[in-house]
Amino acid sequence: MGCCYSSESETAEQDGDERKPLIPHPNPDSKPPNGTERNPANISSTRTDEQALLSIINKTAQNIIDVSAADSQGMEQHEYMDKARQYSTKLAVLSSTLSQKKPPPLPSLTSQPHQVLASDLVPYSDIQQVCKVAAYAYSAISQIKVDAKEELVVQFAIP
Amino acid sequence: MTTALTQGLERIPGQLGYLVISEEGVLASSGELENDERTAGVIMQMVRTACRFRLHGAAEPPLKRMSVMFEDYVYAVTISGQKVFVVKRQNNQREPVTA
Repeated sequence: MGCCYSSESETAEQDGDERKPLIPHPNPDSKPPNGTERNPANISSTRTDEQALLSIINKTAQNIIDVSAADSQGMEQHEYMDKARQYSTKLAVLSSTLSQKKPPPLPSLTSQPHQVLASDLVPYSDIQQVCKVAAYAYSAISQIKVDAKEELVVQFAIP
Repeated sequence: MTTALTQGLERIPGQLGYLVISEEGVLASSGELENDERTAGVIMQMVRTACRFRLHGAAEPPLKRMSVMFEDYVYAVTISGQKVFVVKRQNNQREPVTA
């Protein structure tokens, strides 16, 4: 008999994506240097101190989103609009896939559930008939086969 | 509210237990189905699948009740007012069901 049920269990494959930025950084190399690179030549004590301080500052900066500094980064009005549009398109795509995952609302099959549940059970003869029909259908499907008679691809004689 | 929902279920002849399930989970349970979250989950999946069937041109699912038949008992399932009602009933029919 054919399969009339397919599992809807969700795969967890997208879990890892949750924390990724929606839009990748356009220029990943423009990150501030983290200052931990070592210069194997003359390492003066002042320089290491400086580097240590720089690395602390950079680490802190990475953990802070400075909203007030957004203006000073020279983002133009149209850049804002572009970003906003990009984000909204990305979100629209994501939300449409999210709503598909949600199961549809339950339909109402009856307004008298107690009566429907208390009514007579399906007669044995009906079940027997359904089983017989299903067995016939299964047997018919399993006997479907391709009967090869002639070549599907024929070579034409090109003069 | 729960009593109104379940009063009728208690009186169903040959009833061995029942479940009332909503989208959020089990609202009421009794008898052999008391706290049977697993059966509730399986029945919910089955009834959702059954409700996807449509006869040609019909907008509503062509069923009032889903019956899951076993040799000795039957799960009778229906949906009303966003709630799934499941009753486990004795199956007194003599002949064995071969599926």
